[in-house]
Amino acid sequence: MRHHIILRIAAQLLIPPILLFALYVQFHGDFGPGGGFQAGVIFAAGLVLYGLVYGVAEIHRVAPTHVAMKMMAIGLLIYIGVGFAGLGLGGKYLDYNVLLHDPMAGQHLGIFLVELGVGITVASTMLVIYQCFSEHQSRDLADDEW
Amino acid sequence: MMLAHLPVLEVLVPLAAAPLCALLRRPLLAWGVVMASTTFALGGSLVLLFQVLSNGVISYHIGDWAPPWGIEFRLDAANSFVLVLVSLVGTMCAIYGRKSVEREISPEAQPLFCTLLLLCFAGMLGVTSTGDAFNLFVFLEISSLSTYVLVAMGASRDKRALTAAFTYLLVGTIGATFYVIGLGLVYALTGTLNMADMALRITDIGDSSTLRVGFAFIIIGFGLKLAIFPLHQWLPNAYTYAPSMVSAFLAGTATKVAVYASLRFLYTVFSPNLHFDAQVLQTLFLPLGLAAIFVASGVAIFQSNIKRLLAYSSVAQVGYILVGVSFANITGLTATFLHLFNHAIMKSGLLLAVGCVVYRTGSCSISTFRGLGHRMPWTMAAFVIGGLSMIGIPATVGFISKWYLVLGALERGWWPVAFAMVAGSLLALIYFGRIVEAAYLQPSPEGNKVTEAPLSMLAPLWVLTISCLALGINSEFTVSSARAAANALFFDPHPGLSMQVGP
Amino acid sequence: MIEGLTPELALGLTLLLPGLGALVIGVADRFPNIRETASLLIATALCGTVVWLLMNYLAGATAQLRVVQMLPGLPISFFVEPIGLIFALVASALWIVITVYSIGYMRSKNYPHQTRFYICFALAMASTMGIAFAGNMITLFLFYEMLTLSTYPLVLHHETDAAKRGARIYISVLLTTSILFFLPAIVWTWWIAGTLDFTPGGILTGKIEGPQAAILFALYLFGAGKAALMPFHFWLPAAMVAPTPVSAFLHAVAVVKAGVFTVLKVGIYIFGVGFLSETHASEWMIWVAAVSLIIASFVALRKDELKARLAYSTIAQLAYVTLGVSLASVMGMVGGVLQLVAHALGKITLFMCAGAIYVASGKRNISEMRGLGRLMPFTFGAFLLAALSIIGIPPSGGAWSKWFLMIGAADSGQQVMIGVWMLSSVLSVAYLIPVVARGFFLPLQGEKDRPQPQGQEVSTISQLRVREAPLWCVVPACITGVLSVLIYFVGPAIAEFVLPVLGP
Repeated sequence: MRHHIILRIAAQLLIPPILLFALYVQFHGDFGPGGGFQAGVIFAAGLVLYGLVYGVAEIHRVAPTHVAMKMMAIGLLIYIGVGFAGLGLGGKYLDYNVLLHDPMAGQHLGIFLVELGVGITVASTMLVIYQCFSEHQSRDLADDEW
Repeated sequence: MMLAHLPVLEVLVPLAAAPLCALLRRPLLAWGVVMASTTFALGGSLVLLFQVLSNGVISYHIGDWAPPWGIEFRLDAANSFVLVLVSLVGTMCAIYGRKSVEREISPEAQPLFCTLLLLCFAGMLGVTSTGDAFNLFVFLEISSLSTYVLVAMGASRDKRALTAAFTYLLVGTIGATFYVIGLGLVYALTGTLNMADMALRITDIGDSSTLRVGFAFIIIGFGLKLAIFPLHQWLPNAYTYAPSMVSAFLAGTATKVAVYASLRFLYTVFSPNLHFDAQVLQTLFLPLGLAAIFVASGVAIFQSNIKRLLAYSSVAQVGYILVGVSFANITGLTATFLHLFNHAIMKSGLLLAVGCVVYRTGSCSISTFRGLGHRMPWTMAAFVIGGLSMIGIPATVGFISKWYLVLGALERGWWPVAFAMVAGSLLALIYFGRIVEAAYLQPSPEGNKVTEAPLSMLAPLWVLTISCLALGINSEFTVSSARAAANALFFDPHPGLSMQVGP
Repeated sequence: MIEGLTPELALGLTLLLPGLGALVIGVADRFPNIRETASLLIATALCGTVVWLLMNYLAGATAQLRVVQMLPGLPISFFVEPIGLIFALVASALWIVITVYSIGYMRSKNYPHQTRFYICFALAMASTMGIAFAGNMITLFLFYEMLTLSTYPLVLHHETDAAKRGARIYISVLLTTSILFFLPAIVWTWWIAGTLDFTPGGILTGKIEGPQAAILFALYLFGAGKAALMPFHFWLPAAMVAPTPVSAFLHAVAVVKAGVFTVLKVGIYIFGVGFLSETHASEWMIWVAAVSLIIASFVALRKDELKARLAYSTIAQLAYVTLGVSLASVMGMVGGVLQLVAHALGKITLFMCAGAIYVASGKRNISEMRGLGRLMPFTFGAFLLAALSIIGIPPSGGAWSKWFLMIGAADSGQQVMIGVWMLSSVLSVAYLIPVVARGFFLPLQGEKDRPQPQGQEVSTISQLRVREAPLWCVVPACITGVLSVLIYFVGPAIAEFVLPVLGP
């Protein structure tokens, strides 16, 4: 990747804002447009860009598939866990009102956690899909072949 | 407290257990989770059924949002009966699965397999429980998507599982899409997604072409999922190449849940009072059901792969169910629910027996069955009993189904249909006779050292076989539940939102 | 008599004993002596129980038993009634005889799978008892199908290609007729009458009329495929591939009699004699039965294989019962019941004799049996007695049944049927008597064919090594042969016994 300096620099400049924007979409989701699903996709897009520029081996080092697959399950568990927490605190399933003393704050916390779970699952799912497909590439091109 | 939340826990426990399985590395642990959650679901569904039968409809509001705004889990006699059926078959397959899957899928992939199995299971329970039409779609997709992968996992035994799964995926997705399109049209008309609410509004709005098109899309969408006769092409391959345990699980549940869902739409959301609804029952379901009985049974006779044979037989049995629906009377509907349940028990039992044979011999062609009657006596005895039940010999559940189907036809005054149904069951005599003769009358090949299947596989097989006999000799439980289910759909499809009582 | 034995318990025992027997026989797999002793003991115990039930019934104690609710409103139930008692008594008594005979036959032939044979026999017996004491149509149907299934391995016993073919025809015809005709008939009856309980006088009065009643009746008659009414008779000759004890017992006593017993039950307890004769529902079945009767007799005449001839004779004799029921007169029904008894005794004797001849000489065809009678006088003597009963010459059991059937025909104005019976009697003389006559009066086969020097006859016989079959085979045949004649003297008593349930 030494030869593709423009790509490298552009990626270096782009990836942090992309990830940051993903987090913004994630956490601002309950006030404005956005939410876990969109944020997850944006976050995964940042990682995929990283993989495209620096190679498949590199992305596997940064975010190994087995970790990503665990994250998929963990995100889902966060979501379901919030629902169960509502049950445990005496409400219905996915009842956020009972999560905190103030129902309003409870709603905020509930939707925040649920969206976080969605975000984690979506991001890791997108990443795993990318990794699965990219693994089928026969070999990486050497620099001088570009 | 648990009891009040049981309707939602019923679906959520397997759903939550699914990602948990993915986190586990040891197959044994994963199977433990599967067995525990399916057993929980079985117990829960039985409790729910008895609650519903004694206290009437249970409505659970997710997140405490009242319907029609929030998602509602709504259990009446019809779907709690189907819940029992799905969780019974699921539990038996889960107990059976560990040994069987060990032989067919690599240890690393097994936790993943468990995850998918639980997702599929939870999805079906969700489709059955929910009272929200869009939520139904979501659960339908959860179960369908995981089913495609489960079928594809048969690829380690036979590569053709991949194409089978892909065909299933295409057809299944088309089915789901049709459903969503139909639902969209109905939503545009009524502005609600809660089924009971939708039903009330449809009654107010009355017939219109939008409604008709929506109805058509929904019925065809489900038709693809439940393998209604000419739309059944995906089913034989999927059942044949899927891992044995998956075949048994799907045969008992997938089409049954789709039948339930379409009944829910035919009777609850739309009502047979609408002209086109009643017409579909008579002019579509009746001929297609009869065609399924004869064509699929006829094809089954010529199959040499036993799993494929049973798959075609399943298509034929769906035909019986459709004919039962088409009677559009209470007996016919009772027969439908009875046959849903009974066919699930016997067909899953049969496929589990075939799975035992695959476990020991690695193949399920009819030539492998030669001499197995003496080598695997318990497996083949269960298979014979299942076969007799499919034919409809008294003292098996198959007889009970047939009794009510014929009775329903007589009540409608449809003589030829009654005869066609009993004649169709004779075709089953031919194809089961072939297998039985091979198993008991032909010598096993030289040097065959096949032995009986392990106990953990025989036990669930025999639980199904014995319930096949016990519920055939004393059908009180199934018949009364099925009748309550039929009553719930037929007389009391939507008691009205105002009457809902939260737990 | 016996402490603690109530009629209900005895009724339960008739069903449990053979089942228990099957279990014991299965356990005693390795020990043929124990196995066969157990068979005999169980058979004797069963017969004793039935006799006890009969005596209690005569003393006025009936019994009823409801087991489980098979379908809502349709329990599996049993009750004691005269016709069932007679059928059960005949079947259980003959089970003893045939067990003795089987022991002799199966041992002398040294057949494999003998344990399976005895187990299936016991299961078939349990089903027969279930049929005999069934309290409603659904119970009868349940045991009817069980009988079909439990006898399938018996027909298949030899596991040769011929046996497979025969067994395939056997099971497919019986299951087909029962599922295709019998089951719809039962469902139909349930639908219109709301009950399936066997009730004297019938349950259909006023519920169905005209051609529909005729169709329902026909469905029952053809549905009871075991009654071998043409054109659904061909399972019977096909099933003759079974070992002779099976043919003798199942195809002279249990299976075919279960068929005609069903027909009787339908006529008496479902339709009711009065209702049948009012609606003329059974009129056209008279002709079906008559045609079946005549054709089967003619076919029997042309069969050279003894068992095949007997099989067709059975078809003809079974049609007597069907015809008797179709006549829709009280006397016809009585004749049917008597025919059930007389034919069971007669035909089992004929089959046992056929088996004894086969065991002793290895011959199956009538044309080869010339002169054997002189070598096997007891076998052929028993054959003659049974043949007389089948033909209906007094004093033999068959005489009464024919008498009542003919009165029945006269009662319902079907005089033509009297002619049919006379013709069939003549035909049965023609197909049964020559067997005996050849046996006794023609020279032994081989004597004429080969030029033998004078005085060598004895050596020919010893060369053929034909002598009377083992005692185990001959004695049972002689007993039933004598019984089939003696039954003549209790004929009127039986008639009186069943008359009360037939209505006015």
